[in-house]
Amino acid sequence: MRLSLQIANRFLRFSKGQTILIALGIAVGVSVQVFIGLLIQGLQDGLIDTTIGNAAHITVSTDDSKGIDNYSQIINDIEGSDLGITAITPSITGNGFLKNDETSEPIFVKGYDLASAEGIYEFADRISEGRLPRSNNEVLIGIGLADNLGVLVNDTTDIFLVDGTLKEVMVVGFLDFNVSVINNGWVVTGIDTASSLFGYENAVGTIEIQVDQVFEADAIGAKVAQIVNNDKLIVDNWKDQNAELLSGLNGQSISSLMIQIFVLVAVVLGIASVLAITVIQKSKQIGILKAMGITDGKASSIFLLQGFILGIIGAALGILFGLLLSYAFATFALNPDGTPVIPLSINYNFILTSGMIAVVSAMIASVMPARRSSKLTTIEVIRNG
Amino acid sequence: MGNIIEIRNVNKIYGSTVKTQVLHDISLDIEAGSFNAIIGESGSGKSTLLNILGSLDDPTDGYIRIDNRQISELSKKELALLRNETIGFVFQFHYLLPEFTAIENVLMPYKIKGKKVTGEIMARANELMEMVGLSDVKHNLANNMSGGQQQRTAIARALMNNPKIILADEPTGNLDSGSTEVIYELMRSVNKEMGTTFITITHDQRIADKADRIIEIVDGRVMESRRPALEAV
Ligand SMILES: Nc1ncnc2c1ncn2[C@@H]1O[C@H](COP(=O)(O)OP(=O)(O)OP(=O)(O)O)[C@@H](O)[C@H]1O
Ligand SMILES: [Mg+2]
Repeated sequence: MRLSLQIANRFLRFSKGQTILIALGIAVGVSVQVFIGLLIQGLQDGLIDTTIGNAAHITVSTDDSKGIDNYSQIINDIEGSDLGITAITPSITGNGFLKNDETSEPIFVKGYDLASAEGIYEFADRISEGRLPRSNNEVLIGIGLADNLGVLVNDTTDIFLVDGTLKEVMVVGFLDFNVSVINNGWVVTGIDTASSLFGYENAVGTIEIQVDQVFEADAIGAKVAQIVNNDKLIVDNWKDQNAELLSGLNGQSISSLMIQIFVLVAVVLGIASVLAITVIQKSKQIGILKAMGITDGKASSIFLLQGFILGIIGAALGILFGLLLSYAFATFALNPDGTPVIPLSINYNFILTSGMIAVVSAMIASVMPARRSSKLTTIEVIRNG
Repeated sequence: MGNIIEIRNVNKIYGSTVKTQVLHDISLDIEAGSFNAIIGESGSGKSTLLNILGSLDDPTDGYIRIDNRQISELSKKELALLRNETIGFVFQFHYLLPEFTAIENVLMPYKIKGKKVTGEIMARANELMEMVGLSDVKHNLANNMSGGQQQRTAIARALMNNPKIILADEPTGNLDSGSTEVIYELMRSVNKEMGTTFITITHDQRIADKADRIIEIVDGRVMESRRPALEAV
């Protein structure tokens, strides 16, 4: 093995130009693979993050207008399970209007147990001005809403509902989620304020849940339904609600996989053809080594090892190029607001896998030359000069 | 001394549709420690015979014993081992490995054996280089030496594992008469000092005349097998 490695090494170094050419070929393949892979991943992560980053993954709700009355029991039960729940909060939501002196805007009132809702919505980080509500009748409103109504922090204003209910609230801060639906429509408040506004008595409208394994949300949702064990309650999850998005992402993944496979096939064919030429170039050497008594196994391992070395060098260079390309893309391809068009998402497992696939492919490409080398005899070489 | 190589009723036929018989029913014994020259016209079958004597080629029929082992019964691995330990080859076109230096080429048969290169082995390689008069250029890449130097390196390489047999196919075919003389002197002295059996093909009658035995091939048959040195005395 050591001798085969030494010979493989010498062969590669002796034909430097060829070696560099093959290594670059592999590197280009790997870099395309890494770049496209990371790009698609970044794109998908970004999409998923905007879809479910600050949203419930699983909801428990009811059609009953009185709401869920045993909600603290349910929350306890769910929290007591080992489903990988990262956040859980009761919520009361409803439509209404926020009134100023002259105008009013339609709003979406979201009442939460603010401490536990923080785990999902991170309101504290989203406040552009002001503070979190501390007592009853204090609200946060979207920054767009504040603009439209000309409301300032610490102003008092009225929420009214279509049934005529009117409630005076104090605006203690503005929220900026970078999402216009939220910025222009949300009014966030404590659960008690919302419950008195919408007339729930010791009940909530919904229980919102975030989980660790977001792509398991449907399966976890089914388990939550078992725990809740009440057919009046509806358990829903983000995957069912976003089926179209998911099938779109899936299609994208498949097409990216296809691109990667074709790149790989091209690389393997390229290496195989160059290595096949190498074996012919080196047939004299193989013949003389066999006359000196090298075994067929060792003679073939020379070429497998060449494939391995080329694979390693190519993969390393390719990963480097691919990462540079990805960084360059994330740095220079920017939205007007200066954020990257596609955020960089470095997935080390994916990069490592790409590299390993390249090494294995290079070795597969060297199987044919290795077999040729194994079959070559001294007599063929000396007969043909 | 006994025979180091024995072949019996060896035929070699090339081609399957158009058959050319190159060797006709050859039987030969090569005595251990002897220096043999094979002569004959071009195309008479010398190289074919030598390659069969060295286990590089298979006869169409007949049997071959090298160092008391019947070749047809050896596995590929055993055959590789036999070539590594018992036989050294020197070809007309020397066939050094151009990727390695002269001394690395000389060490190659030892490395193929799979053992570690010790100081003692290194000393032996250097000694061989010294013996073939190449101490000065031993670190040159194979291609950066003259033809004669390369051929002498090939001889040193063939000697590295101390084989019982050295087979040479016109080792001096490409060299001037001065270099030819040097190389045959070298081979002769190894033969005398180490008792290595030599079988060499040559076109040079003067060289043949110095051998213990001349094997003349005519149209694939052993015509004459004599001992010129003894006759000359
Ligand atoms: N692979 C082959 N297929 C068919 N015929 C062959 C083959 N190899 C050799 N021959 C023929 O066998 C005969 C003997 O060849 P060989 O090489 O043994 O001759 P030689 O005596 O060594 O000649 P030279 O002195 O020119 O080297 C020649 O007629 C040659 O054409
Ligand atoms: Mg010949």
